[in-house]
Amino acid sequence: MTRTTTPTPGAARHAAAPVASLSRRRFLRTTLIAGAGVAALAGAGFAWLRRSPVDSLPPGEGIRYLTASEYHLFQHATAVLLPVQGTPLTPLSQVPVVQHIDHMIGLLPGHLRKQVGMGLTLFDNAAVVSGWHGRRFVDLETADAVQYFDDWSHGNTIQKALATLVKRFVYVAYWRDPATWGPVEFDGPVSEKWGLAYLGNAPLPDQQAVSQEAVQ
Amino acid sequence: MRMITVPRDGVPVTTAADIARDPSMGRRFSVKTEVVVVGSGAGGATVAYELAKAGRKVVVLESGRYFPSANFTEHLGDTMTEVYREQGSQFNSTADVLFVEGECVGGSTVIGACVMQRPPDSLLQRWATELGLGNLAPDAIGPLFDEVGAEQYVHLNEAHEINTTAHKVIQGCEKMGFSWKPVARNVRQCALTGHCLAGCPSDRKMSSLVTHLPWATAYGARLFADTHVQRVLMRAGRATGVEAIVRDPLTGAQMAEMRVDAEVVVVAGGAIQTPVLLQRSQVPDISGQIGRNMAVQPFVQVLAQYDEELFGFRGALVGVEIDEFLESDGYMFFSALAEPEQLMIQGEQGAGPDHIRFMKQYKHLAGLNAFAIDEGRGQVSWEGDAATGRKVISWNPSRTEFEKLKRGASLAARVFFAAGAKRVYIPSFQQLQADSVFELDATMDQVSYGLKGMYSLRINSFSPHGTCRMGNDRFQSVANARGEVHDVKGLFLADASLIPEPMPSAPHWTVQALAKQVARNILDSASGLFLNGKA
Repeated sequence: MTRTTTPTPGAARHAAAPVASLSRRRFLRTTLIAGAGVAALAGAGFAWLRRSPVDSLPPGEGIRYLTASEYHLFQHATAVLLPVQGTPLTPLSQVPVVQHIDHMIGLLPGHLRKQVGMGLTLFDNAAVVSGWHGRRFVDLETADAVQYFDDWSHGNTIQKALATLVKRFVYVAYWRDPATWGPVEFDGPVSEKWGLAYLGNAPLPDQQAVSQEAVQ
Repeated sequence: MRMITVPRDGVPVTTAADIARDPSMGRRFSVKTEVVVVGSGAGGATVAYELAKAGRKVVVLESGRYFPSANFTEHLGDTMTEVYREQGSQFNSTADVLFVEGECVGGSTVIGACVMQRPPDSLLQRWATELGLGNLAPDAIGPLFDEVGAEQYVHLNEAHEINTTAHKVIQGCEKMGFSWKPVARNVRQCALTGHCLAGCPSDRKMSSLVTHLPWATAYGARLFADTHVQRVLMRAGRATGVEAIVRDPLTGAQMAEMRVDAEVVVVAGGAIQTPVLLQRSQVPDISGQIGRNMAVQPFVQVLAQYDEELFGFRGALVGVEIDEFLESDGYMFFSALAEPEQLMIQGEQGAGPDHIRFMKQYKHLAGLNAFAIDEGRGQVSWEGDAATGRKVISWNPSRTEFEKLKRGASLAARVFFAAGAKRVYIPSFQQLQADSVFELDATMDQVSYGLKGMYSLRINSFSPHGTCRMGNDRFQSVANARGEVHDVKGLFLADASLIPEPMPSAPHWTVQALAKQVARNILDSASGLFLNGKA
């Protein structure tokens, strides 16, 4: 059977789980919505801070499910989270991470897709005030963006959940691609490579002794 | 004398595609049988085999798809999508605790790590004396464990089945004076691929897919996949069958409605699905215990980094266990290291350079899963009406359970440091690690309970149990000692939901022994259950 290299619904749901947890708790959901609202208002109030050069750029070719701003967020997050250049790890040019994420997003059920979108908006905009970066996540310098992730991974429940959301999407999309396994010497599938014999069904219990003797 | 022949491979299964192709079955059809078994995992397959072998007409209904072993790719992502329940994303209501479960012909036995554990005799004896469940006394159920063990090729791992991750655990235990032993597994001629969780393409794992199900069908049982049982039918205090919907496994589209009329109904959907089905069916719940008392056996994975290359992901997935604390504190520890994708899901990853450093060390890592016995406070419920409602799994750790898990993680870390680890990664949602045993306590102190224990430790569950507990008091339990639901004649349970209390053992072996016992109870009561009452 052909191995799937694109992410599966399972991977998508796993990655999206943190935001699902927020939406399932009413007070957290309220906070999430309010948080997004505050960030949006803050953004509106400080429009000069919120503007980003990437806002005018279209999403990448072949992107079907991510909005332009989500696409640019994941592009930036991938570069920040996976600085593989100069390391033995597989270059990002050989692993279509954001395309994989786009595929994963497309597999999410509608309600979860909406919540993921809200979570990503909050994560992006909150950088304006959170940590007083004064700019959105997509515009943070690499070191500041890493710091933003680190701060949120030690933050409150919502911050931990959203930092986990972004990291899971990016890391799962990268590491599930077999192209990334060689450099870490993970073997991947081996049965066929090793020519393992197929043993089939076990014999009935009262025939097992006979079968064992035959094997020996 | 009848000649019984088990096919070389595969199981005769009627799937949604078969039903769609067969115009004689129509969009609505019914089947008449003596016994209908709901679920084809460890419990359901065992019951089906025992009853079919005894000459009873048996129909097995499985909601998952039929996924023959030859289709396994040893790629966890593929397998999760095809045969894990909810594509491997069955979470608690706060989505921070994952409940891993198979949904396919063979159930969780297909995706398990082959770990087979018998509960301590002291626990079985206590259930017999304190709970009055004499059927669980070691001398009563012990022979059934032995029978299952022989059928399933259960053996202690031999030297070649203990990989480098496990060797680090052994080294640490030896230094600390902790008792350890090779894990018992149900596998024949293990090829040491390390891909247990993705299914075994060469059929070495003794899942129900290659044991009890082909055996049951060889004795005449009929097996339907893609068949979602909606409710148990009852009349005048007696189970009379089930109603189900056959769905296309790819699209979810309804292919047919199915009704099975049966003299005995055995529900074996596992500790999460079984209570939900009983609730949907409005089975009398005089005790109010259906879906309650769920023990989850929560676990966290501690990773350690060593100077030397270990390639700890190679070889048998689970090698050794630490049994030092099993009876005293209810801790189980199993050596295991996940593949990269699973690692991304299971453990908190640092950002940027930290993550790169971590993954460059992948071949230097070892893993130890720390399981703690919990308080059995979890709950599974069906919310809403039968057609449009949804299942809700409610469990977050109490403070006591949280502290217990923390201590388990700390013990695992100490074992690794004793074996020379240079760094230990703490299984928390915040990125934490300790570079020596002297830093460990201070690092662990940073993991706080927070809001109801949410998003604090990274917790998973492979083995929930106890949601329809067995007992003699119909006001305190769901089923009697024979496995029959109180007040519903002919409705039996045969899965981990029956386990009366939280237990510190992987439940697979116990479920199969219990299922054998339930099957024999049914046969012993044949005159009162079947029209053809011959024993």
